[in-house]
Amino acid sequence: MLKASFRSFLSHKGRMVLSAIAVLLSVAFVSGTLIFTDTITKTFNDLFSSTASDVTVSQKTDQSDQDIAMSGQIKSIPADTVEKLSAVDGVKKAHPSVESEQITLVDSKNTLLGRDTGPPTIGLNWYHSDRSAVNITSGTEPTGPNQAVVDADTMDRKNLKIGDTIRLINGFGTVDLKIVGIATFTKTNPGATLAFMETQFAQKTLLGSTDKISKAELEAVPGVSNDTLKKRVQDTLGAGYEVKTQKETAKDAADQIGSFVNFIKYFMLGFAGVAVLVGIFLIFNTFSMLVAQRTRELGLMRAIGASRGQVTQSVLLESVLLGLIGSTLGIAAGFGLAVGLKALITAAGMNLKGASLVFKPLTPIVAYLVGTLVTVIAAYIPARRASRISPMAALREAGAPPQKSLKRRTIIGLVMAGVGVAALLGAATTSSGGTGGLELVAGILLTLVSFVVLGPVLARTVIPALSAGFPKWFGPMGRLSRENSTRNPRRTGATASAVMIGVALVAGTSIVASSMNSSIADQIDKNFGADFTIQANQSNPLPDDIATSVKKSDGVGEVVRSRMIGGVSLTYPDGHTTEKDQVVATEPGFTQMWKIDFVGGDKGKVGEPGTIAVSEGVADDHKAVVGSTVQVKFAATGQTVPLKVVAIQKDSKGGFGFGNASTIPIADLDKANPGTHDFLVMFNAKPGADKNQVSETVKKTMDPYPQFKVRDQADYKDQVQGQIKFLLYLIYALLGLTIIIAVLGVVNTLALSVVERTREIGLMRAIGASRRQIKRMVKLEAVVIALFAALIGLALGVSWGVVAQRLLANYGLELLTFPWITLIVMVVAAAIIGRLAALLPARRASRMNVLRAISSE
Amino acid sequence: MTTATAATQNADPRGTGIAARAQQLTKAYGEGETRVVALNAVDVEIARGQFTAIMGPSGSGKSTLMHCLAGLDTVTSGRSWIGDTEITQLKDKDLTKLRRDNIGFIFQAFNLLPTLTALENITLPMDIAGRKPDEAWLANVIDTVGLRDRLGHRPSELSGGQQQRVACARALASRPEIIFGDEPTGNLDSRAGAEVLGFLQRSVRELGQTIVMVTHDPSAASYADRVLFLADGSIVDEMHRPTSDAVLERMKRFDAARTS
Repeated sequence: MLKASFRSFLSHKGRMVLSAIAVLLSVAFVSGTLIFTDTITKTFNDLFSSTASDVTVSQKTDQSDQDIAMSGQIKSIPADTVEKLSAVDGVKKAHPSVESEQITLVDSKNTLLGRDTGPPTIGLNWYHSDRSAVNITSGTEPTGPNQAVVDADTMDRKNLKIGDTIRLINGFGTVDLKIVGIATFTKTNPGATLAFMETQFAQKTLLGSTDKISKAELEAVPGVSNDTLKKRVQDTLGAGYEVKTQKETAKDAADQIGSFVNFIKYFMLGFAGVAVLVGIFLIFNTFSMLVAQRTRELGLMRAIGASRGQVTQSVLLESVLLGLIGSTLGIAAGFGLAVGLKALITAAGMNLKGASLVFKPLTPIVAYLVGTLVTVIAAYIPARRASRISPMAALREAGAPPQKSLKRRTIIGLVMAGVGVAALLGAATTSSGGTGGLELVAGILLTLVSFVVLGPVLARTVIPALSAGFPKWFGPMGRLSRENSTRNPRRTGATASAVMIGVALVAGTSIVASSMNSSIADQIDKNFGADFTIQANQSNPLPDDIATSVKKSDGVGEVVRSRMIGGVSLTYPDGHTTEKDQVVATEPGFTQMWKIDFVGGDKGKVGEPGTIAVSEGVADDHKAVVGSTVQVKFAATGQTVPLKVVAIQKDSKGGFGFGNASTIPIADLDKANPGTHDFLVMFNAKPGADKNQVSETVKKTMDPYPQFKVRDQADYKDQVQGQIKFLLYLIYALLGLTIIIAVLGVVNTLALSVVERTREIGLMRAIGASRRQIKRMVKLEAVVIALFAALIGLALGVSWGVVAQRLLANYGLELLTFPWITLIVMVVAAAIIGRLAALLPARRASRMNVLRAISSE
Repeated sequence: MTTATAATQNADPRGTGIAARAQQLTKAYGEGETRVVALNAVDVEIARGQFTAIMGPSGSGKSTLMHCLAGLDTVTSGRSWIGDTEITQLKDKDLTKLRRDNIGFIFQAFNLLPTLTALENITLPMDIAGRKPDEAWLANVIDTVGLRDRLGHRPSELSGGQQQRVACARALASRPEIIFGDEPTGNLDSRAGAEVLGFLQRSVRELGQTIVMVTHDPSAASYADRVLFLADGSIVDEMHRPTSDAVLERMKRFDAARTS
């Protein structure tokens, strides 16, 4: 039997090519993702564990790093900690470490040295230990004020040389730095832009005071374990300090990178999953056709004594062979993909040039499992069908076996569709996000599966309607292609299913994205009261002098600053305390610039000293009314201020804006928790002033700060929508893969159909059909299948999109908009793709030798 | 070759002249040592309005001769004509058109497209050509083959004999210059076969059709006006107004020649 399977596989290898490609693509995606993410993880783990010092001491805080960065605060510990630690038994050396990511570096032409997104720009103090990630490879160490050593990659990228002057901008102001040396990474450069400074100067510049340092890095005396030393340090310093061993430091750093890597990993594996799903249909079709074409042969096997099980096994064995070959090629292609991704991420700034690809044992195991399992699962039903071929089939005329009724399928499909639609309706009308989300997922899955199950039924009902005009428009070939496409509804259904999934996903996503776009645009229109804004980015708070210089600019009227402060505890009149909350700190006039709705109090007073505005929900829950007092405690200083409620904000559904955060005055924040910086500066042109001119003037004053942009309402919208578009393009690109496999499926089905219909085509040629007519027949069949698939995919995707929007309306996605152009383009593209997919099979059909075709079996 | 001329030719039921002919037609496969000659410089003329049978033992080249005469196969050397058109000169496109407009085919099996009804199969060549069938003629043909009540059926719903009769009707419906049959009754039982052959004979006698049929069955050949005997790629004999027995006797001589 094994020999028979093997022979059979070899003799049909031509017909397996496209199935093998489908396996290859899926496996390549899976293995490429694994190799790539393993490589990044290992590279960073190596870097972190080799650079982390034995024990690291830093400030302990309740605030998340993100909160700290957003409010413009910097973690620090007293500088004299180093001396205290030097005295601890077992400490060989204690280094004061100063570092800040809240900086911007620009060259003399005010262009950024670092990157807008991705790897950070870091300012550090220079000291050298055996754990240093860099060495100075030319020039000297920084020894005094206004000197800097810059990393080699940045020097290269920005064409800098020793002696050039750069500027460092942060919340404390701006300083000039002269480059005195170049530092080169000894291992991988994670892509960061680095500027090293002399320690005292770095303390003043980065932390604002020579009394502070960021961390103390300890080297242990040989023989003293890191854990022992950690314990001694904790005993010496007491509470308020975070003490980590080398292992812990490395692990925390790796976890941070890990969550980013995992995001990439699961995102890409998700698409690999879709590719696999689509590939299953292709393989299923191939095996179905092979079995149908070999009815006589399999009947003969049964006649000479092969058992049903043996027939099933022989077909499944072929699928295992296909899976193994496809997976092997897929792993090779996965390597290629990983190399490509590595090059891509290197271009984005993370220099992985030196890192070799990591090929963990798990990778081939997963790859082979995916590749082989998928193939065997897809081939299982055809294999079972093969076993049911009666020995009599060997004696009968070759030809398609009689088709089973679609009745059972219709019933099962309709029931599933009914449940799915009910779930979707539930999701569309629910107000609870949790159950709604579950209902949405269940509804999507059920309707998807039911459409796959109903595929043949739909093909039989929808295609004749869709191609009703074919005989009229395209003559006899139109009629034939219409008949051919519904001839084997199961096959057509399975082929169309693959295309349908891709189209449905794109349609659903694009509706959600376009609704998101218009909802956010709508919110910006409603909320945005200021003429212009300047906003901080993730790691760069606005220096204090930006608001000052904007205020001084010609033609500028009112200016309102606001800040985002995390790690705040709010105690309400009912005694309830919310921990680690986030609040907005601002100035009077805020509600003019930022138009949110209020349900009570005087919104004009928001931002005045001693006041607080809370949201409706919080006020109701915790008995806060206008006039009652809320205690606000800041984590950074531990100070508490009592603030009087002056206004109640309408509950925000989320989406764009500050959400339901309470609003407090900057005046009180500065007293209780100094050292925070602006997040958003909003300002108006003076009445009567020319807005364009004001914008130009302010932009000029902002020249030294290339990292911040002055934006009016339209710019702001563009920026926010740009981010959505980016995400959307990413998704489109990945779904493109699905569509490629789906197209392969159409090619596959047509190619096999053409083989199956050799005699028919030969007959038609004999009685006078021209090559062009034969080609047209095949192409029209492809077009009608693709159109059918696109339309049912569209129906599915649109309903998913609409339901998702209804559900997300609870979270601020209030407007439903249809990206008509995208949707129409998709259907037209499907028709074009179908026609392209038919090119080769059509060519093959038209080139058939008439005589041989007629006499073939 | 237009329909008009075909129609005038058909107006003269026992039309004189030549419907197809071949001159020094040679068909060889392979090269050098392995060269096999299927047709060896065959000269033949097919008279218009006659029912010609081509007979011969298997491997004699009878099917090859028919395929070459019908323009389905290319020739190694020599020339052949359908009417006045030399088909050995034609490109695929013109050859296809010639087949479509001037030739009818009946094959041994698989004559019909499974997706089309009997009527649609009958009119398919005209549909492909974008021509309207001559309704009166079509009705005449359909009645002659006796398929009026089966027109809406698909091939899978017809018996083998009925399928072959549909194929005959298709070949006749466009009034081609000549119809080629490749063992048209080879897959039928003797009763169904006799029905089809009788029908072919009538279409020659009554409708003035020209038919060339390849067969190895002497009783099938007896329906023809003239039988050509092929052996080893050459025409070795011919017989007019054949009877089943005479053909059988002639064929036996081939076997004798072969075994001796």
